Amino acid sequence: MSDAESPPDDDVPSVPDDEIPDGDEFEPVQVFPDNELDLREGADDCYKCSTCDTNCPVAEVDDDFPGPKFQGPEQWRLKQKDDHDVDDSIMDCSNCMRCDNACPSDVPLSQMHNEARGEYVDQQMDKLSVEYWRNRVLANYRISAWFASKVPRLANAVMGNSLVRQVGEKVFGVTAEREFPEFAQQTFRQWWAERGGPQVRSEDKRVAYFHGCYANYNTPEVAKAMVRVFEHFGYQIAVPDQGCSGTPMYANGMLDDARRDAKLNIKEFSELVEEGYDVVCSCTSCSMSLRQEYPELFSFEGTAEVSASTYEAVEYLRIHEDLNDAISAASVDGPDLAYHAPCHARNQGLDRQAVELFRDLDGVGIEDVGESCSGISGTYGWKAEKYDKSMAIGEEMFEHMDEAEGETGMTECPTCAMQMEHGSGYEIRHPLELLEDALVAA
Amino acid sequence: MADTPSVLVIGGGSTGCGIARDLAMRGLDVTLVEKGNLTHGTTGRMHGLLHSGGRYAVSDQASARECIQETRVLEEIASHCVEETGGLFVKRPEDTEEYFERKLRGCDECDIPTEVLSGREARQREPYLAKDIDKAITVPDGAIDPFRLCVANAVSAENHGARIETHAEVTDLLVEAGEVVGVEVRHQSGKGTRSHGAAGTIEEIEADYVVNATGAWAGQIGEMAGVDIEVRPSKGVMTVMNVRQVDTVINRCKPKGNADIIVPHETTAILGTTDAEVDDPEDYPEEQWEVDLMIDELSKLVPKLQSARTIRSYWGVRPLYEPPGSGTTDSEDITRDFFLLDHAERDGLPGMTSIVGGKFTTYRMMAEDISDHVCAKLGVSATCRTADVALPGSKNYRVLEDAMDDYGLTSPIAKRSTQRLGSRAEEVLSITDPNPVVCGCEGVTRAELQDAIGQAGTDLNAVRIRTRASMGNCQGGFCTHAMAQELHPEYDAAQSYAALDELYQERWKGQRHALWGEQLSQAMLTYALHATTMNRDSDPVDREEAIDFSAFDDGGDAATGTDTRTTAADGGAHGD
Repeated sequence: MSDAESPPDDDVPSVPDDEIPDGDEFEPVQVFPDNELDLREGADDCYKCSTCDTNCPVAEVDDDFPGPKFQGPEQWRLKQKDDHDVDDSIMDCSNCMRCDNACPSDVPLSQMHNEARGEYVDQQMDKLSVEYWRNRVLANYRISAWFASKVPRLANAVMGNSLVRQVGEKVFGVTAEREFPEFAQQTFRQWWAERGGPQVRSEDKRVAYFHGCYANYNTPEVAKAMVRVFEHFGYQIAVPDQGCSGTPMYANGMLDDARRDAKLNIKEFSELVEEGYDVVCSCTSCSMSLRQEYPELFSFEGTAEVSASTYEAVEYLRIHEDLNDAISAASVDGPDLAYHAPCHARNQGLDRQAVELFRDLDGVGIEDVGESCSGISGTYGWKAEKYDKSMAIGEEMFEHMDEAEGETGMTECPTCAMQMEHGSGYEIRHPLELLEDALVAA
Repeated sequence: MADTPSVLVIGGGSTGCGIARDLAMRGLDVTLVEKGNLTHGTTGRMHGLLHSGGRYAVSDQASARECIQETRVLEEIASHCVEETGGLFVKRPEDTEEYFERKLRGCDECDIPTEVLSGREARQREPYLAKDIDKAITVPDGAIDPFRLCVANAVSAENHGARIETHAEVTDLLVEAGEVVGVEVRHQSGKGTRSHGAAGTIEEIEADYVVNATGAWAGQIGEMAGVDIEVRPSKGVMTVMNVRQVDTVINRCKPKGNADIIVPHETTAILGTTDAEVDDPEDYPEEQWEVDLMIDELSKLVPKLQSARTIRSYWGVRPLYEPPGSGTTDSEDITRDFFLLDHAERDGLPGMTSIVGGKFTTYRMMAEDISDHVCAKLGVSATCRTADVALPGSKNYRVLEDAMDDYGLTSPIAKRSTQRLGSRAEEVLSITDPNPVVCGCEGVTRAELQDAIGQAGTDLNAVRIRTRASMGNCQGGFCTHAMAQELHPEYDAAQSYAALDELYQERWKGQRHALWGEQLSQAMLTYALHATTMNRDSDPVDREEAIDFSAFDDGGDAATGTDTRTTAADGGAHGD
């Protein structure tokens, strides 16, 4: 949680409980109108050092992009009441959140960007424009995916059609360069229901799985690997109702959509947290969102509890199990891997965990392909006007993948995986799949 | 030209610049001399409040009426200097109901429009107000940029033929046959715009009439002709917060007291103030407890101030005056009214009038009064037009604002620049291409700096007050050198360095009173950056003795002792 204030939500008092003096009768006054948040004070922490700018992958390839220092603390400080013009360059920020990590002074940069983007979309963007609706559809990927999952073969055939992609670019501004991800014939949730839910019962080892959209509709093999690995270690797993984590929505300034899904997620998961469950994600952007952005942007009851109880899956096992021991004792039969750490994993301090873990696993070599951003940043690289920028950012990663021994990629993030595959042609795996191979399948 | 009466105005603050404009518009031949840059004395050290008159509505209703009247005038003629923020008088539980009622009644009697808000309504307007605020009175207070206003008056005066000389200190009054006939000034770097390094010159300037508008310094000028002007300078501290915690002027609704006002000013909020008489307007103690008092007291109105970042503090000196024999002991009780001291009537010394006392908000009215007086003395019949003719930059500004182009700048930068420049925006912003942002904190571009340098020469403090460059949270750490760079090549490296040193010293002066928490980190970072990247902690060019570089190991072959290198590694001297 940053230094900036928690925003108020519809029915939640805007003043945190611990700020109400003793004996003061509680007065639920909605002081910030329409969920607007005043982040000017976040500029107090900025020393102008520009470390954020030098770490920004977009600024590196785009000389016209003013960079995170401007987008965040400077823009907020220059804003005044009734002065709503957020610069349109906020839409060029990819929401990689590297600036958060780069800042030596805890400036709530990504929060400032999220709020500014939300304000820009809400107040300055034409709601009838193709761009708005393109972004809205991309941000609400879960809804499209839900439809597609009803008719996965048809959806795959249509979306795989190059003519459809050309039309998509011309009419809708979604790049024709990329191949759409395939929809699974059976979603993870269908599989989970079919197998009858959890196969392991435990009183003290319980995790609630936030699978997110992609592992449900597109890569259920990752979600299944999560289930098998955690059950292997004796965990009882719950898979509650859930919406999108919100990451693509923040990135597109669709804060109302994000709030809608966050409300459901926090309600479902906070009930389980109360029962002693921890929350585990297989996607590092999902865990990032639940941990950092939820408490920055929302204050539904249970938000702080969910945030404090959320972990990435491999991180969770490294904390609670002797994973190194288990891995050292196991072996698999290749192939060698070129591993890329997603930016959002980096922000959670997870950027080295896959390499540290799997270098002790017999039968597979793993190399880190470096610190660069993959460049796709979720929906960003899918936009026709951002595609070239996205590929320019990814160039360094592609080169390093090419130089690495392995010809199979690995990463935790589904869209980084798309970019890696798109730039290298490699098959891309998730660490949970390798854990399953090493510990469960053997 | 010989038959045009000439007037010399001493003092480049709001009063002096206002007088120069007024007289020049009436067709007189005006020269204004100022020992520093414009606003150098009291004007540049005020809190930026445009008084609705609410503050004086109980204690001094005549002043209150003048304030509301002049506030309305300035909103029209100086719209690019004024932000119509509105103001609140907020009542804490320990403040009396009786005074609240008196304030309300007083405002009513002075035609200051008010509205009473509940504590809850006040907090809806200003979310960071303390939760135990009972209620509040709204008044039409505003924020004003004294620098921009003063400069606009001076530019207008120049447009009407006046001569404005800054860095021109009056060293003597010329008295002939018992009458003041002019002044002797010492130009720090010759006539015209400042140019560091240029030789100083002495000039005698004769005039048909001299106006002493030096405020707290009026006594020092008077002494030169042997007249006694009993100004009672009174200091007050102002503390600048990094961001605006409030967008409305917040006054505490209680009788006189220290630390009772917060003024949103551009990107910052300014806390004020104290009132303590001092002997010398240029030499008085600046004490940390005064700053602490601002933060502690005003946190009772806006609790967030307690943990918010302070970027600097400064002290100003009020030019208070009261007629001899009034015997007021507490400087807070001295009237804020102004006085014309005609030295012919008062001291038997014709040719000069001093203006003392008064307040910033009514500067134009004071200027009008003294201009009327001077015209009467000189037998000129011309009416004052300063209330009707907009200042440069202000004309049709509001109409222009909506239609303004962004000049290729990002939106908040364009917005701030056009607000500063008003109707001059197009003229200034379209001349430089490319037009990079030089001061990121305040969003100031090269074009604005070049425009200001055109007006002010190498005086970067004068550039600062015109543009706000270096007035943000890094206090010049990331832009002072870039501002100095803008002087080159018109001015040489040595001049640019001297200008940089002077600006940086001024920035440091105020920052010394904010060295804790974030601003301490900022100052340390600035120091480290300037020391490591520009050698500013021990630049060899600033040493009196040259460094004997040949005494250092040149990295040549140590075994044979052969010197194989010839390249100088010190970068040479300035100008090389």
